[in-house]
Amino acid sequence: MSTDEPMEDVQVAQDAQENEYDLEKIKLLPGASEDGTAASFQIVDEDHTLGNALRYIIMKNPEVEFCGYSIPHPSENKLNIRIQTYGNISAVEALHQGLDNLSELCTVIEEKFSEKIEAGGYATVEP
Amino acid sequence: MSDNIVGIEYNRVTNTSSTDFPGHQASGDFSWDIEKFKQNFDIDIKYLTERTANFDLVHIDTSIANAFRRIMIAEVPSVAAEAVYMFMNTSVIQDEVLAHRIGLIPLKVDPDLLSWVDKTQDENNRYTEDNTIVLSLDVVCTKNPNAPKNSTNAKELYRNSHVYASDLKFEPHGSQLEKFKNNPVVPADPNILLAKLRPGQEISLRAHCILGIGSDHAKFSPVATASYRLMPVIDIREPITGALAVNFQKCFPPGVIGINDQGEAYVQDARKDTVSREVLRHEEFDGKVKLGRKRDHFIFNVESTGAMSPEEIFFKSVRVLKNKVEYLRNCPIGQ
Amino acid sequence: MASPQREGFSIPSSISHAALGQVTSKSLGVKYNCAQCAASFSLSKNDAIRCKECGHRVIYKSRTRRMVQFEAR
Repeated sequence: MSTDEPMEDVQVAQDAQENEYDLEKIKLLPGASEDGTAASFQIVDEDHTLGNALRYIIMKNPEVEFCGYSIPHPSENKLNIRIQTYGNISAVEALHQGLDNLSELCTVIEEKFSEKIEAGGYATVEP
Repeated sequence: MSDNIVGIEYNRVTNTSSTDFPGHQASGDFSWDIEKFKQNFDIDIKYLTERTANFDLVHIDTSIANAFRRIMIAEVPSVAAEAVYMFMNTSVIQDEVLAHRIGLIPLKVDPDLLSWVDKTQDENNRYTEDNTIVLSLDVVCTKNPNAPKNSTNAKELYRNSHVYASDLKFEPHGSQLEKFKNNPVVPADPNILLAKLRPGQEISLRAHCILGIGSDHAKFSPVATASYRLMPVIDIREPITGALAVNFQKCFPPGVIGINDQGEAYVQDARKDTVSREVLRHEEFDGKVKLGRKRDHFIFNVESTGAMSPEEIFFKSVRVLKNKVEYLRNCPIGQ
Repeated sequence: MASPQREGFSIPSSISHAALGQVTSKSLGVKYNCAQCAASFSLSKNDAIRCKECGHRVIYKSRTRRMVQFEAR
């Protein structure tokens, strides 16, 4: 009985967190393969900024056979991204790995940049 | 590694797309490795002033560099006037034109000090002291009795004949008195001319300034512009000496090509080159030189409008990309 | 984007010159400006349409003292 209460607290906290996230942000488009190794996703309110960067990182994954993105119409803020893998991982996993890698990349860039700013040694006037 | 050079010929470019994906090349493992990236990636800051930053990002892909550029222009939040309440405007500048000009004035406000305006709230409750900064402008133009005779200079003849951005006064509300005590809200450039007045004309208005992003309206963009170019590469295939070397040097901007003691031309500083391809117009250099650009070496130039320092803007753009990715990572996939 | 009827903002704490001396209960006098001498004066109903100072017969109505809201876009 004493172990049940902590579990409930965690459950409530997680539900509250999930409600913050937009349910419309990303959806699975029809045309996915049966075993989930090939799928198309539609992300709203995103454009080439995220699309191209994500496509690059996902393509770097050796398990990914194909990754491409398109913006169906420039007037609508929708991004379609298709991922096909060789079969060892699912498309959703490839997407998640890509997002994690991109996040790591940003962290490395942030750290490197702050390091360089603090190190100094650059001019403070325009040549 | 010479594969990372985009070739530039007199009428075409070659080898443009990046091929650092696993399986694209016979040799080399290009799968994503954060440690390899950490080792190869470099940032080289050339100069950093209050308003401009010039730095290099090396060994990073175009898509990432472009993402940062796009975010710096369109998605880093900053503060600008949104609603202008006119009480009196008898100047020749129309109300809406004056309001438009006030919106475009860059303000020296740290965007982190304000919160976002909640659009779902009713308009009466929307603007609070946490998300709005109020600026006021009250100017009346009068004749100057002490003007020298026969003067034609409006600034001598009249008082307050020119309305500048510095005339916008910050009106702190409530907690803003404390928050902005050490860094009061002023326009980043005080000498922006807003309107010209003559005696009897008066302007009296209040401007409410809120947080916004550049993709909504250009007034919210924190950079005058943020751009990058690729590092030029000049490959001298055959030695060029003597008078030919002097002509060769003239084909490039000064400082790009140097002539050594033997009279041979060599590449002194490729960074200064503007890649005008002038050298390709001269037959005497056919086959002797190859022009190109390094595909993974980006020379960024960030010009801030004054609200934030340029390195802060770049830092924020990296943060914005990271936040986008993290948000998407945690979103449940629908349907 | 003028919306003269909407006052959905916090009333400014310091009153501008424009608002100073504003007559809250407006008397009949409507303000006009002369086209020739730019003199400002009031006319009430059944007054002759002439400038009080130079007698010119073309007059313009003064700008309203009502607050007008614009989007700075």
